[in-house]
Amino acid sequence: MTAALTLTGIGVRFGDATILDSVDLTVEPGEWVGLIGPNGAGKTTLLRTVTGAVAFDGSIQINGADTSTLKRRQLARSVALVPQQPVLPPGTRVVDYVLLGRTPHLGEVTGPSRHDLDIVAGVLDALSLSAFMNRDVTTLSGGELQRVVIARAFAQESPILLLDEPTTALDIGKQQAVLELVDRLRRQRTLTVVSAMHDLTIASQFPDRLVMLAAGQVVAEGTAAAVLRPDLIRAHYDAEVRILDDGAGGIVVVPVRSQGDTTDPDPGTVA
Amino acid sequence: MTGDEIRPSRLHWWWLVGALLVLAAAVLVSVMLGAVDLGASSIVSSLLDRLPFVDLDSGLTDREEAILWDLRMPRVVLGGIVGATLAVAGGSYQGAFRNPLADPYLLGVAAGAGLGATIAIAYGPSIPSTPFGPLPLMAFIGGIAGVAATYAIGYSVRAGRTAVTLILAGVAVASFLTAVQTYLQQRNAETLREVYGWILGRLSTVGWTEVWMVLPYVVVATAVMLLGARRLDVLSVGDDEATTLGVDPTRVRLVMVLAATLGTAAVVAVSGLIGFVGIIVPHTIRIIFGSSYRIVLPLSVVLGAAFLILADLLARTVAAPAEIPIGVVTAFFGAPFFAIVLRSSRGLGS
Repeated sequence: MTAALTLTGIGVRFGDATILDSVDLTVEPGEWVGLIGPNGAGKTTLLRTVTGAVAFDGSIQINGADTSTLKRRQLARSVALVPQQPVLPPGTRVVDYVLLGRTPHLGEVTGPSRHDLDIVAGVLDALSLSAFMNRDVTTLSGGELQRVVIARAFAQESPILLLDEPTTALDIGKQQAVLELVDRLRRQRTLTVVSAMHDLTIASQFPDRLVMLAAGQVVAEGTAAAVLRPDLIRAHYDAEVRILDDGAGGIVVVPVRSQGDTTDPDPGTVA
Repeated sequence: MTGDEIRPSRLHWWWLVGALLVLAAAVLVSVMLGAVDLGASSIVSSLLDRLPFVDLDSGLTDREEAILWDLRMPRVVLGGIVGATLAVAGGSYQGAFRNPLADPYLLGVAAGAGLGATIAIAYGPSIPSTPFGPLPLMAFIGGIAGVAATYAIGYSVRAGRTAVTLILAGVAVASFLTAVQTYLQQRNAETLREVYGWILGRLSTVGWTEVWMVLPYVVVATAVMLLGARRLDVLSVGDDEATTLGVDPTRVRLVMVLAATLGTAAVVAVSGLIGFVGIIVPHTIRIIFGSSYRIVLPLSVVLGAAFLILADLLARTVAAPAEIPIGVVTAFFGAPFFAIVLRSSRGLGS
């Protein structure tokens, strides 16, 4: 079977800095791969490379086709990105924002067709956004906004969905809701998902497979249990953690205080 | 829910019809009023009389016909062309630079075009103003140089860059170019009667020649800007996200800025520096009708024309028989309006 996404020897440099260094990654159709790694590891850059926003060395293939042979619009019909910090144009209504996702399907001059509007309506329904559709995007709460940005990506109908830390700004309930939604829609629509993830416990729960990046290189790859190891996390995040069994087959990543001393400091020693 | 139940923003035909009625009213009032008042019905009759197969007696004397067709009509038509172009160019610059404060005047485009036109008149061969003579070409080169300098200076600022940074750069560039233009104008006072009064804008000495000179450029530039409106909507989510939606942000910006600059340069070559039209008209449309460029740009063409025709009417009647430069009228309304836009755009990145 042809892989949905194959990255071979990806290198990205900004000036003198090497951001990505010989990254190889293969994602099967319908698979969910979680990218983890410390700040600055290159997770966001790797996602942007796939969307064509960054110049890179190496090659990227989508369903066996090299992306350098694809037009920008063709690439956009194959890959959609949910950015970490979306730009929200003031005065734009939710329905118009979601409709932007149809851009790669529209003609040069013609506006959206009935088919495009049906797709937007379906996506708004699927993400429970119908009641918000006439609101200005700048007036939404964090959870509503995240759903709107995901709706735009779904309206794009691209078989590969990239998520850049989709839940960072959300509370724990909204985090779960958004990721469950992505998982449900992924199964319904047979989407291939690659997500950069910040929270390691959550990263252990949703993706089929994790890839740990550090300093622009892949340093570990495999199931959550194989990648989320105290030694790897110590080496690359510079953090002490304990990996616990959550009693239901999952794992929990718990930070450990390095001092191990939780008693109140002596008031006399406080300056 | 189906596609029938969603209402994306779009330009409704009745908005366009309403805007055209406003424009028609502005034209009619503007050709009626002046040192000699002409009746509305006579004007309409005279207008219809010009159509093929229509023969009407307007009741106007030959002198009144001459006032209508040789003095007022070209001035009103050119005012409309200038206003339409400056307004749609302002809207296009705002979209291309993602900057609500952008305007042909504030970006240094108009000043650059003015300098280019001055050089063409002062040092170029003295041939009549034609669409493909040196005047529009030099105005275009000057306009491109102005906006390029503004962009380069504005974007060289790294820390603390906001929407205002680009405009400050534009003010510096415009001041410099206007200073050079004034110097050349003084040095060549004898040959430069044509550019007298330019810095404040003027429509008082125009005839049909100027209309025909600018029309080809304005039509092409406006068509390109209107066709790019949907891409400006995509650009509003930023370059990175526009890329993921299949749009090349650099190419869109280049095409829109070139078109807006071409249109601006053509109209500046005949009208001088008229500021703030590109701020007032698109922002008013945004507030009333919505912020999609598919709404803002087409309505800017129609209502920009109406706005400048009415501003010119004020300029020539409010202190009659003297005339106020039209740039003074637009600045009188535009500067306070700019202050309001500035207040509401604080902190916006560009």
